[in-house]
Amino acid sequence: MAIEQQLADFLAKSEAQWSALVDKGGNLFAQYGDTGTLDLSILSALAAGSFAATHELAKRLGESEFSALYHEGQGQHILMSALHHECLLVTIFGEKTNIGLVRFYAQQVTGALNGLLQLAREKESQVGPLILDGDFLNGPAAIS
Amino acid sequence: MAFINYSSREIQLKIVYYGAALCGKTTNLVTLHKQITHAQKGELVSLATDADRTLFFDFLSLNTKTLPGFTTRFQLYTVPGQAIYNTTRQLVLKGVDGIVFVVDSHWDRMADNVESFANLQENLIENHLSLVQIPYVLQYNKRDIPNAAPINYLEFTFNNRANRAIAFEAMASEGTGVLETLNAAARLLLAKYSKSPNANVTGLSQPNAATVVPPPAEEAGHAA
Repeated sequence: MAIEQQLADFLAKSEAQWSALVDKGGNLFAQYGDTGTLDLSILSALAAGSFAATHELAKRLGESEFSALYHEGQGQHILMSALHHECLLVTIFGEKTNIGLVRFYAQQVTGALNGLLQLAREKESQVGPLILDGDFLNGPAAIS
Repeated sequence: MAFINYSSREIQLKIVYYGAALCGKTTNLVTLHKQITHAQKGELVSLATDADRTLFFDFLSLNTKTLPGFTTRFQLYTVPGQAIYNTTRQLVLKGVDGIVFVVDSHWDRMADNVESFANLQENLIENHLSLVQIPYVLQYNKRDIPNAAPINYLEFTFNNRANRAIAFEAMASEGTGVLETLNAAARLLLAKYSKSPNANVTGLSQPNAATVVPPPAEEAGHAA
């Protein structure tokens, strides 16, 4: 199953609203679900930053095991789970479900996603570098 | 590390604005957010204190069509400049693809600039990176202040490595030199995807040949 399908399956089971695979640098790799008009790159950057800060705090407290972070809001909640290969699973959920259920299915999908990330990592070493024609961003093509 | 999604034909690149406290990193992003009209831009997010000092980072995302067949998303971050936030700077550097080092031209800030440049190199090492691998450009900001250090002094202090970086004079608060700096950084990052990278763009083919790009003529007069 592809990553999006894993996320879709996870959302269906947990009844969460949105879920995404984000790396710890804040890049959005894959996502599924509905966040309305929210800017997903901002969401990813903030989630990665928040996880990194809390992880660092835990490290300084001598906590070596730090696998998940949960923010509880009034209507919406966020669960972030650590994956292998410097990645995170970010899940947003509302009143339709509860943290126990989301955490349970998040742990299940984490294993599957780690497997897919490992496959992607192995495949990456076999793919040649991306080389395209031309030199870029010159003249009118510049960012403006 | 650049993220290339072949199925959605998307490339994500992270550029970090680094430099001493109050050198103008956030001002660069604020100005870019105002000046950029053609590229698709996101909201400018600032995690700052009540006194407008960056606490964690500022973030601006730009979607461009600069590579044929791909959407290139540049994610621009700043780091907090104040000394106490070093751990935060290390976190923001995670996965960086390119750096803009902003230098405050004020004479009195030289020690801070030098310290910040050294701190950048230390923090890159913490992330298993170095300035040899990560493309960077220099921006000599605040060229309009009365006691600005001369350019040749700044070049000698910050740009005396074997491979000289491209440097820009800027007045970020007035919007001068800001887009030029970003475009140079973006070109440097994209050069590695080009079959025929322009030697003038990479600036690395001719050691010691890179020049400082002055601000446009009318602003240069204003600076003098």
